[in-house]
Amino acid sequence: MFLIRAACLLLCVLCLAACDRLPQSYPPPEQRQPVAGFNPGPDAMMVSMEDSDADPVIVKDIYPGTGIPWRWTKQEPTVKVLVFSTESVKFSADFAIWDDSFKTTGPLEISFLVNGKLLDKIRYTTPGKKHFEKPVPADWLAGNTEATVALSVDKLYIAPRSGDEYGVILSRLGLKP
Amino acid sequence: MIHVVPVLFGALFTVATAWALGMLLLRNLALSFDPWERRLLAFFAGSACLSAILFALSAAHLAYRGVLLALGLGSIGYAAYSGALRSPGKAFAPLAPLWRWVFIPAFAAFTWYGFFNALVPEHSSDGMAYHLSEVVIYQHAHGFPRITNDIFASLSQGIELLYLFAFDFGRHSAATLVHYAFLIALAFLVLSYGRRIGRPAVGVAGAIFTYTSPVVLRDATVAYVDVALAAVLFALFYLLQVWDESRDSNLLVPIGLLAGFCYAVKYTGFLAVPYAVGFVAWKLLRNARKPLLRPVLVIALSAAVMVLPWMVKNWIEVVNPVSPLANRTFPNPYVHISQEDFMRKYFSSYDLASRWQIPLDVTVKGDHLGAFLGPIFVLTPLALLALRFREGRQLLLAGLLLGSTYFGNIGTRFLIPIVPFVSLALALAVANLPWLLFALLVANIIACWPAMYRIYCSPNAWRLEEIPVAAALRLQSEDDYLSQDPEYRIVRMIGRVVPPGDRIFAIGQNGTSYLPRELLIGHHSAANEVIEDILWTPVAAGYQPVLSVKFDFPPREFRKLRVVLKGSETDGQWSITELRIFDGPKELPRDPGWRLTAHPNPWDVQLAFDNTPVTRWRSWQPAAPGMYVEVDFPRPQPASSVVVESSYETVNTKIALEGMGTDGQWTTVSDHPAITTHPIRTSLRMAAIAELKARGIQYVVIHPGDPGADDFFRYPAAWGLSLVGQESGAHLYRIP
Repeated sequence: MFLIRAACLLLCVLCLAACDRLPQSYPPPEQRQPVAGFNPGPDAMMVSMEDSDADPVIVKDIYPGTGIPWRWTKQEPTVKVLVFSTESVKFSADFAIWDDSFKTTGPLEISFLVNGKLLDKIRYTTPGKKHFEKPVPADWLAGNTEATVALSVDKLYIAPRSGDEYGVILSRLGLKP
Repeated sequence: MIHVVPVLFGALFTVATAWALGMLLLRNLALSFDPWERRLLAFFAGSACLSAILFALSAAHLAYRGVLLALGLGSIGYAAYSGALRSPGKAFAPLAPLWRWVFIPAFAAFTWYGFFNALVPEHSSDGMAYHLSEVVIYQHAHGFPRITNDIFASLSQGIELLYLFAFDFGRHSAATLVHYAFLIALAFLVLSYGRRIGRPAVGVAGAIFTYTSPVVLRDATVAYVDVALAAVLFALFYLLQVWDESRDSNLLVPIGLLAGFCYAVKYTGFLAVPYAVGFVAWKLLRNARKPLLRPVLVIALSAAVMVLPWMVKNWIEVVNPVSPLANRTFPNPYVHISQEDFMRKYFSSYDLASRWQIPLDVTVKGDHLGAFLGPIFVLTPLALLALRFREGRQLLLAGLLLGSTYFGNIGTRFLIPIVPFVSLALALAVANLPWLLFALLVANIIACWPAMYRIYCSPNAWRLEEIPVAAALRLQSEDDYLSQDPEYRIVRMIGRVVPPGDRIFAIGQNGTSYLPRELLIGHHSAANEVIEDILWTPVAAGYQPVLSVKFDFPPREFRKLRVVLKGSETDGQWSITELRIFDGPKELPRDPGWRLTAHPNPWDVQLAFDNTPVTRWRSWQPAAPGMYVEVDFPRPQPASSVVVESSYETVNTKIALEGMGTDGQWTTVSDHPAITTHPIRTSLRMAAIAELKARGIQYVVIHPGDPGADDFFRYPAAWGLSLVGQESGAHLYRIP
């Protein structure tokens, strides 16, 4: 009889423990707003060759390099950038044509490509530092997705001893808001 | 080498305390056994008692080292003082020399392997990931803190509480040695069973088959609980057989305690309670003169002492007494039904092409199902020959019943609980041919020796491979030994970088028992799965709310509005990123007086009304007609359109808008919405990280292979994250 009473008492205690209920309805929560300072900076879509984290976004034709602000390219140096904004975005590239290679190759014709589409093609008749910048049509890009940004060099300098191919000396490549 | 002393002390002190408590229990119940039998059964009964006491101490947050020391010393001292440690009774006849000289060297040789592997710093995946992680949390809190974001904290943890006792003195390896002690006790109890039924050779063979089984020995040498469950189940079987012989009603108390302890050790041991109750009831029913109610109640109540605390703890903490299971029966905000469904589906198949792969894989290969039992178990069908003996029928019945949970998880480890029964039944099947039994025994010993099984098992099989004496004796430092494991190196890196008190989120991370920080892991709870969902939205196009489903209707007043699902999805879920209500061209501001609800998963309904594209209410179970998201207005509210923003995942989902007018009647307002798509124009990455920050998370760990990992690695700035640590491919980011 004691055991039966104890069992009944235990069941009562358990039933009491079941009285709590989780809420089933809620008021609207705090409304989220864009947080100040969260907008990416002007260089967020640019790839600098001196950055240690540049390698993961290099798609092809850029020689490895560390600790120096430039890298040699091959024929079609290509990088991937994440597009934050599609409005008023410009293609931007900083590169140089080496004096010595220019003596061999002569003037270079360089194409500027976004997602494989030709944005512009320019013939460079002198060596030295170059900067290219041009607006990209908004419908070429999609927000929050990656875009490929590339140069295409028409002639390559071939190193006489190693046979390695060189295009231009690239410093920065990408998109700018 | 001095560092091994606290490890051994922690383990031995735990075992001694359990044993002393068991000897006190058996002495007070005036039970009669063979001396060795008494010592072994005392360990199991005492383990149950110690576990129950530790539960009470942990619930009261009194699990301090001083309290545990006093408990242990008090138990051992009182047992010694009261004479309970003496083992009176008639001893079994000694083993015949042949069987003694088979058993001793085989046991010693495999113990050489097992002991040193158990003594090495604990580095098993589940041991580091959760068996001991929870122990570390309990040790720091001196008891049970309320944990709602880790399903593993909701499992019954009867053995982990013994680990807590050992851990307080000897840390990880002491806990592991406690598990190994269960295997040693099991092997001797199996041997003892053979002697009890007058077939010592069967006992020797059964003990060796069990002890040398590669999966059993491997499992026992890490801080898992499978071998402990096997041992406690077998001890329960043993006591029931003793009761069947003696009908001593005092045996019913330890029988009930051990039956309940099986559940406390592991959920899959729950069948022990109906087995014990059914066994006793059946035996008594066959003898109609015997009263039935009292014995059954004694067992049930003794079992309840071990079972109910875990159920009540879960009921209080996570609203589900058997969490993380049965979430349809006990709906709660802590474990998603989809998560339970996924686990159930995966563990019952392990993605095997056919179940015909199971027999060879679990016995010999250990390729897909994790480990292997040993080739002797290929002969399991032969065990049916044991049916000709009463003991054989009892063994096979217990093995069949207690192993019936196997198909819920077909990993080889989940067969460990029936290994002693099958081992004894196999030995019994050929017991009348001693030369054959001897040959099988020798063949098994050879086949299970680690140098031999690497010839036939899969290279992926989980098994013992070497005897790491230097690491076991701490001649090689723990840190040095453990650093061979990349997961350990990662948690060490996290521990170095993240200050105490800060929260970390990871999609997946092992080794957390070596990380004294709060680390939330994606699949460990409903809330953590929501965080995963938030993190994946920026990188998974299918998750992004590019779809607008608009219901236009003549303006009118509503007391309630709800969007109702009309079609079902076979596998997919239903989700709503934002639900917006308009009166003319103007969206109604979300009034604090609104009451929002949803069915199912009402607890996440606010995610559809928070104005961020990276959070969403999800059904977290297959979409089914009748599901809804509802707004209850505090006063009649004019409205003329409703827009549901959701992802492409729900493009084919048929939904309707229903409204309750001022007359209190529900009517369908519109079931032909206009569907349009729109591009995302804000930074989802930044929004996702802002959500994590709002949830108190300061760090994120991303491993190569995690969904979206490449995106984190390439564009940390786009997420607003700073890389603060790297180890073995894992990246640790700080949320500014």
